[in-house]
Amino acid sequence: MEGLTGDDASLVDRLRRGDPRAFEDLVIAYQHRVFGVALRMLGNRAEAEELAQEVFLRVHRAIGEFRGEAKLSTWLYAIASRLCLNRLATGERRMARQGEETLTLLASREVGPAEKMERNELETALHRAIAELGEERRIVVVLRDLEGLSYEEIAAALELELGTVRSRLHRARMDLREKLERFLP
Amino acid sequence: MTCHDAREQFSALVDDALTPSERAALDAHLATCADCRRELQRFRDTVALLHGVEPLRAPAGFVDHVLEAARPDPWYRRLLRGLFLPWPIKLPMEAAAIVLVGIGVALVYRATLDTRQFAGGLSGERPAAESPVTESLGRRAAAPAPARELSTRRDQPLTGEQDKPGEQSKLKDQAPGLAETYQAKEAPEPPKSPATIAPRSLDAAVEKKHEERGETQAAKQAAKTDAADATRAALERARTSGEAESLRSRPAPAAPRSQADAPPGARSAPPVAALRFAPPTVSGRLIVSDVDAALRGLAEVVTRLGAVENGRADASGGQIVELSVSRDAYPELTRELARLGRWQPSKEPAELPAQLRVVLQITRGSPRRRRRNFRRSLRSNSIAADIRKTGGTTS
Repeated sequence: MEGLTGDDASLVDRLRRGDPRAFEDLVIAYQHRVFGVALRMLGNRAEAEELAQEVFLRVHRAIGEFRGEAKLSTWLYAIASRLCLNRLATGERRMARQGEETLTLLASREVGPAEKMERNELETALHRAIAELGEERRIVVVLRDLEGLSYEEIAAALELELGTVRSRLHRARMDLREKLERFLP
Repeated sequence: MTCHDAREQFSALVDDALTPSERAALDAHLATCADCRRELQRFRDTVALLHGVEPLRAPAGFVDHVLEAARPDPWYRRLLRGLFLPWPIKLPMEAAAIVLVGIGVALVYRATLDTRQFAGGLSGERPAAESPVTESLGRRAAAPAPARELSTRRDQPLTGEQDKPGEQSKLKDQAPGLAETYQAKEAPEPPKSPATIAPRSLDAAVEKKHEERGETQAAKQAAKTDAADATRAALERARTSGEAESLRSRPAPAAPRSQADAPPGARSAPPVAALRFAPPTVSGRLIVSDVDAALRGLAEVVTRLGAVENGRADASGGQIVELSVSRDAYPELTRELARLGRWQPSKEPAELPAQLRVVLQITRGSPRRRRRNFRRSLRSNSIAADIRKTGGTTS
């Protein structure tokens, strides 16, 4: 986390006062994280972008309902997670899921050829392994290991018991350990 | 602690989420189990791989897209959105609106009708000829002469005068208000529903009746011949009173105008259409104490005289009956009518054709009320409406 707690408070304050710059600051600060969750969950760039935009629009409309009990980031993750899970559950997916291809492309980085190839292989394997997890396990591992939320924050965002979060996370990691066996030292 | 129990806690151990007692128990097991230590290491390495995953980045321009989408709509968009309600709300509202508009139109229409009649009665002004009703009638009329005939007929049941223009002016002098009120009846009315405008003439009724009774084609031909006779007689009258007509403020512009408007087919049509509007040979009021009894008596007379009842229509004050009767039987018919009630012919030409069409307005009540009833019947009754529409210009 970026330790935006203090900044979050002032950002929320400005948002509530209707400061026109506040919303822009919010989107700039959280765009990659919200988009990352959406893409990990949906596996499609365009769909992820659309959903991430919807997350921010909801925040924009409902900033008055944010009571400040949780961190602003947790609130954003909660909205993003629920929108993703709802979309996956209701089959309201207009675009074909092209998870693997999309995630393979994501893995490209500007590095040296040999390193690039090796790294690409690992990244691809990681993304594929994550993408192959069940949705309920995937969202927990994404929030915990990729986004760095605490158990409590995940429980709050997904409205789950702490024990459920812990159990799902463990299962997800065990699945991944199986899938990533050959990359382990 | 078994190996299985120990490995179940690896995740919490990595995240430092174990209670001190859980942590102590797990450490004790790991100290004695090399397999679980190796497994724990692989688990840690897996989590480390996950933590090393590069964060994803939103596409370029994402912030702008979001800001654009979040920008409040201009006021007219918001207004439009407010207008476009979901259909479960909108549909009943629209239905209610249609009903209200319908009621409003009906009320305004009635008010307009009464006002025009009242205004016409006060001023005695003749209305303009471009009434939709007159025009539509003009279109139906085939030739100019019959069309004018139609207009000659209009006054007859209304003022009860003879065809001569002089007599009309005399009547006006005697009772100006009355005559003008009747003229106001010629006022163009607001467009009626197609059903009302639809040609429901007496002749249509004649044909229908004949068909219903299974009468021969000859009988139909006879009925048409009667009408043709009447038309010819009326044509004669029109010619003789041509001068008077030219002096009139409104020389029936509807007929020529509508002729020009009429499609070629209608113009070249045979004068059957005109026959439909041919005036009755004789018309008048039969004032009786009991309308039903009079109708029964009339039916007997009709049968006895070999006459034919062509049509009948309800009027608010009684009934309008049209008969076809031969010239020879007509004197006997008038005697019988006089027996049934008070027979007041409003039109009775001196020279009668071989076959007469007689229109009777059978009414009950005081003369004053009768008159009003008759007027009301004209408004409500389609046959009477046809009579009224076709009239308007006396020749």
